[in-house]
Amino acid sequence: MKKIPVIFACVTLIIGYMAAVQFQSHAEPETRDTRNMAELRQALMAEKERQQELNEEISRQQEILNQLEETEDVEDVMADVIENLQEQAGLTEVTGEGLVIQIDLEFDHNYTGGAISSIPPYLLRLLINDLNIQGAEHIAVGNERIVSTTAIREANGRTLVNGNWLSYFPVEIKVITNDPESLHHAIMSSQSREMFLYENMNFSSNPVNSLTLPAFDKNYRTRFMEPVQEGS
Amino acid sequence: MWLPFLGLLIGLILGFLTDIRVSEHYAPYLSIAVLAALDTLAGGSRAYLENQFDEKVFITGFFTNIFLAAGLAFLGVHLGVDLYLAAIFAFGVRLFKNIAVIRRLLLSKWK
Repeated sequence: MKKIPVIFACVTLIIGYMAAVQFQSHAEPETRDTRNMAELRQALMAEKERQQELNEEISRQQEILNQLEETEDVEDVMADVIENLQEQAGLTEVTGEGLVIQIDLEFDHNYTGGAISSIPPYLLRLLINDLNIQGAEHIAVGNERIVSTTAIREANGRTLVNGNWLSYFPVEIKVITNDPESLHHAIMSSQSREMFLYENMNFSSNPVNSLTLPAFDKNYRTRFMEPVQEGS
Repeated sequence: MWLPFLGLLIGLILGFLTDIRVSEHYAPYLSIAVLAALDTLAGGSRAYLENQFDEKVFITGFFTNIFLAAGLAFLGVHLGVDLYLAAIFAFGVRLFKNIAVIRRLLLSKWK
């Protein structure tokens, strides 16, 4: 009779084992992190950069706060801040060193498609994204300044930027950046250039020492924000 | 009395330590095997309390039930009929019945 608990123990052991395996197979997370070392490092770098940006932002705001607290004449500081913000938002003309990118058509001999009237919006967005990634500070397409709410879309086969028609070819994109030379090399070897070639377009870029970008001439359309009333 | 619980504990620890994972494809077989094993365990406990326990019947029943259940599920998958439901139903009903009998037996013993 002494054998019975042992047999039971063996059976429960098997049950426990099976239950554990089953539990483990189900407890596996749905999406696994399959990033390798290099990708993880990249992600870490991106986060560090973001942290640095945030820290800089904090110190800048702190500085403004200190100025406001120290000076009697608050209006000057406020005006400075507003000017600074306006510049960042693209409401003022900006001048600086940068890059002029000229987009033109480029057909090979056996091109059989129809006429091309303007740059497709997705290509323009791709190029602008590429420029932003590579460190562009201010961008203007033709005479249209690109701001955070700029819409690039297509209507009747033509591309609109900020609600205005894009000019016919060649289209000029002006970019202001700290390091025109490296942006030039980056953009000339970028993937967006390849995509332009697929669409029978090509662009060339020239670093220039001084160029002026027009201001954003429309009103910002803020739909989901409203000013906070003082005291409320 | 505590030996079966120790066995269960060791089994769980072993299972978690070995880090074996079955693919999602085979998970139903394993779950049905667990159910069959639980059913056999309940049946065995009942037989033990009724003093009718036969270790040969118990051990053969344990393995036959597991493989029959898994085989039925396998057959069901290949025939496109949910045959495993039959196994789950049979084992489920028997499990509850056995546990009810065990409860009665334990209650009568406790009195």
